[in-house]
Amino acid sequence: MATNDLVVLYEAAIGYALFDVAESEDIGIQLDSVQDAVQDLGKFGKICKLKAIMPFRTAQDALENINMVSEGMMPELLKDFLETHLPKAASVKKSKVTLGVSDYKLGQAIAEEVHIKCDHTGVVPELIRGIRMHFSKMHKSLKDTLVEKAQLGLGHSYSRAKVKFNVHRVDNMII
Amino acid sequence: GRGGGRGGSKQVIVEPHRHGGVFLARGKEDALVTLNTTPGESVYGEKRISVDAAEGQKVEYRVWNPFRSKLAAAILGGVDSIHMGPGSKVLYLGAASGTTVSHVADLVGKDGLVYAVEFSHRSGRDLINMAKKRTNVIPIIEDARHPHKYRMLVPMVDCIFADVAQPDQTRIVALNAHNFLKNQGHFVISIKASCIDSTAPAEAVFAAEVQKMKAEKMKPLEQLTLEPYERDHAVVIGTYRPPSKNKK
Repeated sequence: MATNDLVVLYEAAIGYALFDVAESEDIGIQLDSVQDAVQDLGKFGKICKLKAIMPFRTAQDALENINMVSEGMMPELLKDFLETHLPKAASVKKSKVTLGVSDYKLGQAIAEEVHIKCDHTGVVPELIRGIRMHFSKMHKSLKDTLVEKAQLGLGHSYSRAKVKFNVHRVDNMII
Repeated sequence: GRGGGRGGSKQVIVEPHRHGGVFLARGKEDALVTLNTTPGESVYGEKRISVDAAEGQKVEYRVWNPFRSKLAAAILGGVDSIHMGPGSKVLYLGAASGTTVSHVADLVGKDGLVYAVEFSHRSGRDLINMAKKRTNVIPIIEDARHPHKYRMLVPMVDCIFADVAQPDQTRIVALNAHNFLKNQGHFVISIKASCIDSTAPAEAVFAAEVQKMKAEKMKPLEQLTLEPYERDHAVVIGTYRPPSKNKK
Protein backbone atom coordinates (compact mmCIF):
# COMPACT_ATOMS: atom_id res chain seq x y z
CA MET A 1 0.00 0.00 0.00
CA ALA A 2 1.49 3.26 -1.04
CA THR A 3 1.36 5.96 1.56
CA ASN A 4 1.49 9.67 1.16
CA ASP A 5 4.19 12.00 2.36
CA LEU A 6 3.33 13.34 5.77
CA VAL A 7 3.52 17.05 6.52
CA VAL A 8 2.51 18.39 9.93
CA LEU A 9 0.84 21.74 10.57
CA TYR A 10 1.74 23.48 13.82
CA GLU A 11 -0.11 26.56 14.99
CA ALA A 12 1.73 28.79 17.46
CA ALA A 13 1.22 32.21 18.98
CA ILE A 14 3.83 33.63 16.60
CA GLY A 15 2.38 32.07 13.44
CA TYR A 16 1.99 28.87 11.43
CA ALA A 17 4.64 26.30 10.63
CA LEU A 18 4.84 23.23 8.41
CA PHE A 19 7.10 20.29 9.14
CA ASP A 20 8.22 17.57 6.74
CA VAL A 21 8.20 14.14 8.33
CA ALA A 22 10.94 11.76 7.25
CA GLU A 23 10.53 7.98 6.98
CA SER A 24 6.78 8.04 7.17
CA GLU A 25 6.39 4.67 5.42
CA ASP A 26 6.13 2.69 8.61
CA ILE A 27 3.78 4.45 10.96
CA GLY A 28 3.71 1.65 13.52
CA ILE A 29 7.44 1.53 14.15
CA GLN A 30 7.62 5.26 13.97
CA LEU A 31 5.19 5.74 16.82
CA ASP A 32 7.71 4.14 19.19
CA SER A 33 10.75 5.87 17.76
CA VAL A 34 8.93 9.20 17.85
CA GLN A 35 8.07 8.67 21.49
CA ASP A 36 11.73 8.20 22.30
CA ALA A 37 12.97 10.91 19.98
CA VAL A 38 10.60 13.52 21.38
CA GLN A 39 12.95 13.86 24.34
CA ASP A 40 15.98 14.57 22.20
CA LEU A 41 16.10 17.49 19.79
CA GLY A 42 18.98 15.92 17.85
CA LYS A 43 16.94 12.81 17.08
CA PHE A 44 13.64 14.58 16.69
CA GLY A 45 15.10 17.14 14.27
CA LYS A 46 15.91 14.26 11.93
CA ILE A 47 12.33 12.97 11.94
CA CYS A 48 10.66 16.35 11.74
CA LYS A 49 12.13 19.14 9.63
CA LEU A 50 10.82 22.68 9.47
CA LYS A 51 9.57 23.20 5.93
CA ALA A 52 8.04 26.66 6.10
CA ILE A 53 6.97 29.27 8.57
CA MET A 54 4.40 32.06 8.31
CA PRO A 55 4.58 34.60 11.14
CA PHE A 56 1.62 36.76 12.07
CA ARG A 57 2.37 40.34 11.09
CA THR A 58 0.45 42.12 13.83
CA ALA A 59 -1.19 41.32 17.16
CA GLN A 60 -4.57 41.93 15.51
CA ASP A 61 -3.63 39.44 12.82
CA ALA A 62 -2.75 36.84 15.47
CA LEU A 63 -6.00 37.41 17.34
CA GLU A 64 -8.14 36.99 14.21
CA ASN A 65 -6.31 33.77 13.41
CA ILE A 66 -6.56 32.20 16.86
CA ASN A 67 -10.26 33.10 17.03
CA MET A 68 -10.92 31.15 13.84
CA VAL A 69 -8.52 28.27 14.42
CA SER A 70 -9.88 27.61 17.92
CA GLU A 71 -13.34 27.21 16.37
CA GLY A 72 -12.05 24.84 13.68
CA MET A 73 -12.33 27.35 10.82
CA MET A 74 -9.61 28.10 8.30
CA PRO A 75 -8.36 31.69 8.16
CA GLU A 76 -7.35 33.19 4.81
CA LEU A 77 -3.73 33.44 5.93
CA LEU A 78 -3.57 29.72 6.66
CA LYS A 79 -5.18 28.90 3.32
CA ASP A 80 -2.58 30.98 1.45
CA PHE A 81 0.20 29.40 3.47
CA LEU A 82 -0.95 25.84 2.72
CA GLU A 83 -1.53 26.58 -0.98
CA THR A 84 1.94 28.08 -1.30
CA HIS A 85 3.80 25.20 0.30
CA LEU A 86 1.82 22.07 -0.48
CA PRO A 87 1.33 20.47 -3.91
CA LYS A 88 -2.03 21.23 -5.47
CA ALA A 89 -4.47 18.40 -6.03
CA ALA A 90 -7.76 18.26 -7.91
CA SER A 91 -9.47 16.41 -5.08
CA VAL A 92 -8.76 15.08 -1.59
CA LYS A 93 -8.41 11.57 -3.04
CA LYS A 94 -5.67 12.66 -5.43
CA SER A 95 -3.78 14.53 -2.73
CA LYS A 96 -0.10 13.55 -2.73
CA VAL A 97 0.49 14.56 0.86
CA THR A 98 -1.26 13.90 4.10
CA LEU A 99 -1.42 16.88 6.41
CA GLY A 100 -1.17 16.13 10.12
CA VAL A 101 -3.38 18.48 12.10
CA SER A 102 -4.21 19.01 15.80
CA ASP A 103 -7.94 19.33 15.40
CA TYR A 104 -10.36 17.16 13.45
CA LYS A 105 -12.66 20.08 12.63
CA LEU A 106 -9.89 22.25 11.23
CA GLY A 107 -8.77 19.20 9.21
CA GLN A 108 -12.22 18.94 7.65
CA ALA A 109 -12.19 22.62 6.73
CA ILE A 110 -8.75 22.26 5.15
CA ALA A 111 -9.71 19.13 3.20
CA GLU A 112 -12.77 20.89 1.83
CA GLU A 113 -11.07 24.10 0.75
CA VAL A 114 -7.50 23.10 -0.17
CA HIS A 115 -8.11 19.45 -1.17
CA ILE A 116 -5.49 18.00 1.13
CA LYS A 117 -6.04 14.79 3.01
CA CYS A 118 -5.88 15.50 6.76
CA ASP A 119 -5.17 13.23 9.69
CA HIS A 120 -5.21 13.96 13.40
CA THR A 121 -4.70 10.42 14.70
CA GLY A 122 -1.94 7.82 15.18
CA VAL A 123 1.53 9.28 14.99
CA VAL A 124 0.33 12.86 14.43
CA PRO A 125 -0.43 13.84 18.05
CA GLU A 126 2.99 12.46 19.08
CA LEU A 127 4.74 14.48 16.39
CA ILE A 128 2.89 17.59 17.50
CA ARG A 129 3.97 16.93 21.10
CA GLY A 130 7.54 16.80 19.84
CA ILE A 131 7.19 20.00 17.84
CA ARG A 132 5.59 21.74 20.82
CA MET A 133 8.53 20.61 22.94
CA HIS A 134 11.29 21.81 20.63
CA PHE A 135 9.57 24.47 18.51
CA SER A 136 11.62 27.47 19.63
CA LYS A 137 14.85 25.57 18.90
CA MET A 138 13.88 24.26 15.49
CA HIS A 139 14.62 27.44 13.56
CA LYS A 140 17.30 30.07 13.99
CA SER A 141 14.79 32.93 13.82
CA LEU A 142 13.00 31.61 16.91
CA LYS A 143 13.86 32.05 20.56
CA ASP A 144 12.20 30.98 23.81
CA THR A 145 11.63 34.58 24.86
CA LEU A 146 10.11 35.48 21.50
CA VAL A 147 7.66 32.58 21.61
CA GLU A 148 6.76 33.26 25.24
CA LYS A 149 6.18 36.97 24.63
CA ALA A 150 3.84 36.09 21.79
CA GLN A 151 1.93 33.68 24.04
CA LEU A 152 1.62 36.34 26.73
CA GLY A 153 0.36 39.02 24.36
CA LEU A 154 -2.03 36.72 22.53
CA GLY A 155 -3.28 35.13 25.77
CA HIS A 156 -4.26 38.55 27.07
CA SER A 157 -5.95 39.72 23.88
CA TYR A 158 -7.77 36.40 23.35
CA SER A 159 -9.01 36.33 26.95
CA ARG A 160 -9.93 40.01 27.07
CA ALA A 161 -12.03 39.59 23.96
CA LYS A 162 -13.82 36.59 25.50
CA VAL A 163 -14.76 38.54 28.61
CA LYS A 164 -15.61 41.72 26.76
CA PHE A 165 -18.27 40.21 24.57
CA ASN A 166 -19.93 38.33 27.37
CA VAL A 167 -23.59 39.35 27.42
CA HIS A 168 -24.11 37.85 30.86
CA ARG A 169 -21.99 40.47 32.55
CA VAL A 170 -23.67 41.81 35.62
CA ASP A 171 -21.53 44.82 36.34
CA ASN A 172 -22.27 46.88 33.24
CA MET A 173 -22.25 50.54 34.22
CA ILE A 174 -25.27 52.63 33.36
CA ILE A 175 -24.17 56.14 32.53
CA GLY B 1 -7.67 45.94 55.01
CA ARG B 2 -4.52 47.78 53.94
CA GLY B 3 -2.47 44.67 54.19
CA GLY B 4 -0.34 45.56 57.19
CA GLY B 5 3.32 44.76 56.84
CA ARG B 6 4.50 47.89 58.60
CA GLY B 7 6.03 47.80 62.04
CA GLY B 8 6.73 44.80 64.16
CA SER B 9 8.38 43.11 61.22
CA LYS B 10 11.71 42.94 63.04
CA GLN B 11 10.64 39.88 65.00
CA VAL B 12 9.60 37.97 61.89
CA ILE B 13 12.20 35.71 60.36
CA VAL B 14 11.52 34.25 56.93
CA GLU B 15 13.21 31.00 56.01
CA PRO B 16 13.03 28.89 52.86
CA HIS B 17 10.59 26.00 52.89
CA ARG B 18 11.64 22.56 51.72
CA HIS B 19 9.74 23.26 48.47
CA GLY B 20 11.63 25.65 46.18
CA GLY B 21 10.09 29.13 45.97
CA VAL B 22 7.99 28.64 49.11
CA PHE B 23 8.92 30.28 52.43
CA LEU B 24 7.92 30.12 56.07
CA ALA B 25 7.52 33.29 58.13
CA ARG B 26 8.35 32.60 61.75
CA GLY B 27 6.74 35.14 64.04
CA LYS B 28 4.11 35.02 66.73
CA GLU B 29 2.38 32.53 64.48
CA ASP B 30 4.06 30.70 61.63
CA ALA B 31 2.75 31.40 58.16
CA LEU B 32 3.35 30.02 54.69
CA VAL B 33 4.48 32.86 52.39
CA THR B 34 5.74 33.51 48.87
CA LEU B 35 8.12 36.23 47.71
CA ASN B 36 5.94 39.02 46.31
CA THR B 37 6.90 39.70 42.70
CA THR B 38 4.87 42.93 42.79
CA PRO B 39 5.96 44.49 46.11
CA GLY B 40 3.52 46.91 47.73
CA GLU B 41 0.41 45.18 46.45
CA SER B 42 -1.89 42.48 47.70
CA VAL B 43 -3.97 40.48 45.24
CA TYR B 44 -6.95 39.51 47.39
CA GLY B 45 -6.42 41.37 50.65
CA GLU B 46 -3.81 38.94 51.98
CA LYS B 47 -1.28 40.19 54.54
CA ARG B 48 2.16 41.24 53.42
CA ILE B 49 5.33 40.89 55.47
CA SER B 50 8.30 43.11 54.83
CA VAL B 51 11.66 41.80 55.96
CA ASP B 52 15.11 43.38 56.03
CA ALA B 53 17.44 41.83 53.53
CA ALA B 54 21.12 42.38 52.81
CA GLU B 55 22.48 45.94 52.41
CA GLY B 56 19.50 47.70 53.93
CA GLN B 57 17.20 46.37 51.23
CA LYS B 58 13.71 45.15 52.05
CA VAL B 59 11.93 42.19 50.57
CA GLU B 60 8.23 41.57 50.77
CA TYR B 61 6.39 38.29 51.18
CA ARG B 62 2.67 37.54 50.90
CA VAL B 63 0.87 35.25 53.32
CA TRP B 64 -0.55 32.15 51.66
CA ASN B 65 -3.70 31.01 53.45
CA PRO B 66 -4.28 27.21 53.47
CA PHE B 67 -8.00 27.76 54.07
CA ARG B 68 -8.19 29.62 50.77
CA SER B 69 -5.77 27.61 48.67
CA LYS B 70 -5.70 23.84 48.21
CA LEU B 71 -2.10 23.94 47.10
CA ALA B 72 -1.12 25.73 50.32
CA ALA B 73 -3.17 23.18 52.29
CA ALA B 74 -1.32 20.35 50.53
CA ILE B 75 2.05 21.92 51.36
CA LEU B 76 1.16 22.33 55.02
CA GLY B 77 -0.27 18.80 54.96
CA GLY B 78 3.25 17.65 54.13
CA VAL B 79 3.24 16.53 50.50
CA ASP B 80 6.49 15.04 49.34
CA SER B 81 6.82 17.34 46.32
CA ILE B 82 4.65 19.89 44.53
CA HIS B 83 6.72 19.43 41.36
CA MET B 84 6.86 23.13 40.61
CA GLY B 85 9.49 25.62 41.67
CA PRO B 86 11.62 28.49 40.37
CA GLY B 87 11.73 28.32 36.55
CA SER B 88 8.88 25.82 36.13
CA LYS B 89 6.25 26.05 33.45
CA VAL B 90 2.87 25.26 34.97
CA LEU B 91 -0.49 24.72 33.28
CA TYR B 92 -3.07 25.69 35.89
CA LEU B 93 -6.62 24.43 35.21
CA GLY B 94 -9.44 26.05 37.17
CA ALA B 95 -7.59 29.29 37.88
CA ALA B 96 -10.70 31.07 39.24
CA SER B 97 -9.92 34.67 40.23
CA GLY B 98 -6.22 33.90 40.35
CA THR B 99 -5.59 33.97 44.10
CA THR B 100 -3.60 30.72 44.21
CA VAL B 101 -2.28 31.44 40.71
CA SER B 102 -0.63 34.60 42.07
CA HIS B 103 1.27 32.52 44.64
CA VAL B 104 2.27 29.98 42.01
CA ALA B 105 3.49 32.91 39.89
CA ASP B 106 5.57 34.07 42.87
CA LEU B 107 7.10 30.67 43.41
CA VAL B 108 8.00 29.94 39.77
CA GLY B 109 9.52 33.42 39.62
CA LYS B 110 10.60 35.46 36.61
CA ASP B 111 12.06 32.47 34.78
CA GLY B 112 8.88 30.43 35.12
CA LEU B 113 5.48 30.77 33.49
CA VAL B 114 1.94 29.99 34.58
CA TYR B 115 -0.67 29.28 31.89
CA ALA B 116 -3.88 29.92 33.82
CA VAL B 117 -7.09 28.49 32.35
CA GLU B 118 -10.49 29.59 33.66
CA PHE B 119 -13.87 29.22 31.96
CA SER B 120 -16.01 31.54 34.06
CA HIS B 121 -15.99 35.05 32.65
CA ARG B 122 -16.79 36.60 35.97
CA SER B 123 -13.70 35.27 37.75
CA GLY B 124 -11.76 35.42 34.49
CA ARG B 125 -12.03 39.18 34.66
CA ASP B 126 -10.17 39.22 38.01
CA LEU B 127 -7.67 36.72 36.65
CA ILE B 128 -6.88 38.97 33.68
CA ASN B 129 -6.43 41.98 35.97
CA MET B 130 -4.08 40.06 38.25
CA ALA B 131 -2.10 38.88 35.20
CA LYS B 132 -1.65 42.48 34.00
CA LYS B 133 0.71 43.03 36.91
CA ARG B 134 2.40 39.64 36.77
CA THR B 135 3.97 39.11 33.38
CA ASN B 136 4.69 35.46 34.09
CA VAL B 137 0.96 34.66 34.11
CA ILE B 138 -0.78 34.01 30.79
CA PRO B 139 -4.54 34.21 31.28
CA ILE B 140 -6.64 31.88 29.13
CA ILE B 141 -10.40 32.30 29.33
CA GLU B 142 -11.53 29.02 27.81
CA ASP B 143 -13.07 25.66 28.66
CA ALA B 144 -10.38 23.26 29.89
CA ARG B 145 -12.45 20.44 28.30
CA HIS B 146 -11.29 21.69 24.91
CA PRO B 147 -7.51 22.06 25.08
CA HIS B 148 -7.32 22.33 21.28
CA LYS B 149 -8.96 25.75 21.57
CA TYR B 150 -5.94 27.15 23.39
CA ARG B 151 -3.26 25.03 21.73
CA MET B 152 -1.71 28.12 20.12
CA LEU B 153 -1.02 29.61 23.56
CA VAL B 154 0.50 26.75 25.53
CA PRO B 155 3.92 25.04 25.17
CA MET B 156 4.96 21.74 26.77
CA VAL B 157 4.83 22.23 30.53
CA ASP B 158 6.56 20.65 33.54
CA CYS B 159 3.46 20.38 35.69
CA ILE B 160 -0.32 20.51 35.43
CA PHE B 161 -2.17 21.70 38.49
CA ALA B 162 -5.94 21.13 38.41
CA ASP B 163 -8.66 22.43 40.68
CA VAL B 164 -11.62 22.29 38.29
CA ALA B 165 -14.24 20.66 40.56
CA GLN B 166 -16.01 18.92 37.68
CA PRO B 167 -17.38 15.36 37.65
CA ASP B 168 -15.17 14.54 34.64
CA GLN B 169 -12.07 16.31 35.96
CA THR B 170 -9.69 13.36 35.58
CA ARG B 171 -10.61 13.17 31.90
CA ILE B 172 -10.07 16.94 31.61
CA VAL B 173 -6.58 16.65 33.12
CA ALA B 174 -5.77 13.66 30.89
CA LEU B 175 -6.79 15.55 27.75
CA ASN B 176 -4.55 18.44 28.73
CA ALA B 177 -1.69 16.12 29.65
CA HIS B 178 -1.85 14.38 26.25
CA ASN B 179 -1.47 17.77 24.59
CA PHE B 180 0.82 19.75 26.86
CA LEU B 181 2.51 17.71 29.60
CA LYS B 182 6.08 16.56 29.04
CA ASN B 183 6.92 12.89 29.31
CA GLN B 184 7.66 12.31 32.98
CA GLY B 185 6.06 15.63 33.82
CA HIS B 186 3.86 15.79 36.89
CA PHE B 187 0.23 16.43 37.70
CA VAL B 188 -1.23 17.75 40.94
CA ILE B 189 -5.00 17.30 41.13
CA SER B 190 -7.29 18.54 43.85
CA ILE B 191 -10.38 16.34 44.15
CA LYS B 192 -13.53 17.44 45.93
CA ALA B 193 -15.42 14.20 46.52
CA SER B 194 -18.89 15.75 46.47
CA CYS B 195 -18.26 17.30 43.04
CA ILE B 196 -17.77 13.86 41.54
CA ASP B 197 -20.26 11.77 43.48
CA SER B 198 -22.09 13.20 46.46
CA THR B 199 -23.59 9.82 47.47
CA ALA B 200 -20.47 7.64 47.66
CA PRO B 201 -18.00 7.84 50.57
CA ALA B 202 -15.10 10.21 49.87
CA GLU B 203 -12.47 7.46 50.06
CA ALA B 204 -14.30 5.43 47.40
CA VAL B 205 -14.48 8.48 45.12
CA PHE B 206 -10.73 9.13 45.47
CA ALA B 207 -9.95 5.47 44.73
CA ALA B 208 -12.13 5.52 41.62
CA GLU B 209 -10.41 8.68 40.35
CA VAL B 210 -6.99 7.11 40.88
CA GLN B 211 -8.11 4.14 38.77
CA LYS B 212 -9.16 6.51 35.99
CA MET B 213 -5.73 8.18 36.09
CA LYS B 214 -3.93 4.86 35.70
CA ALA B 215 -5.89 4.21 32.50
CA GLU B 216 -4.49 7.48 31.05
CA LYS B 217 -0.75 6.90 31.54
CA MET B 218 -0.96 8.97 34.71
CA LYS B 219 0.85 7.16 37.51
CA PRO B 220 -0.21 8.35 40.97
CA LEU B 221 2.70 8.82 43.39
CA GLU B 222 0.98 10.16 46.48
CA GLN B 223 -2.44 10.99 47.84
CA LEU B 224 -3.23 13.24 50.75
CA THR B 225 -6.45 14.50 52.31
CA LEU B 226 -6.68 18.21 52.94
CA GLU B 227 -7.91 17.99 56.55
CA PRO B 228 -8.18 20.18 58.58
CA TYR B 229 -8.33 22.88 55.89
CA GLU B 230 -10.92 21.29 53.59
CA ARG B 231 -13.46 18.55 54.12
CA ASP B 232 -13.60 15.47 51.88
CA HIS B 233 -10.90 16.83 49.64
CA ALA B 234 -7.80 15.01 48.47
CA VAL B 235 -4.80 15.94 46.43
CA VAL B 236 -3.38 13.31 44.10
CA ILE B 237 0.09 13.84 42.69
CA GLY B 238 1.71 11.70 40.03
CA THR B 239 3.90 11.26 36.98
CA TYR B 240 2.69 11.38 33.40
CA ARG B 241 4.09 8.69 31.10
CA PRO B 242 6.57 7.34 33.65
CA PRO B 243 9.65 5.63 32.19
CA SER B 244 8.81 2.03 31.35
CA LYS B 245 10.51 -0.61 33.47
CA ASN B 246 11.44 -3.01 30.65
CA LYS B 247 13.80 -0.49 29.03
CA LYS B 248 17.53 -1.19 29.32
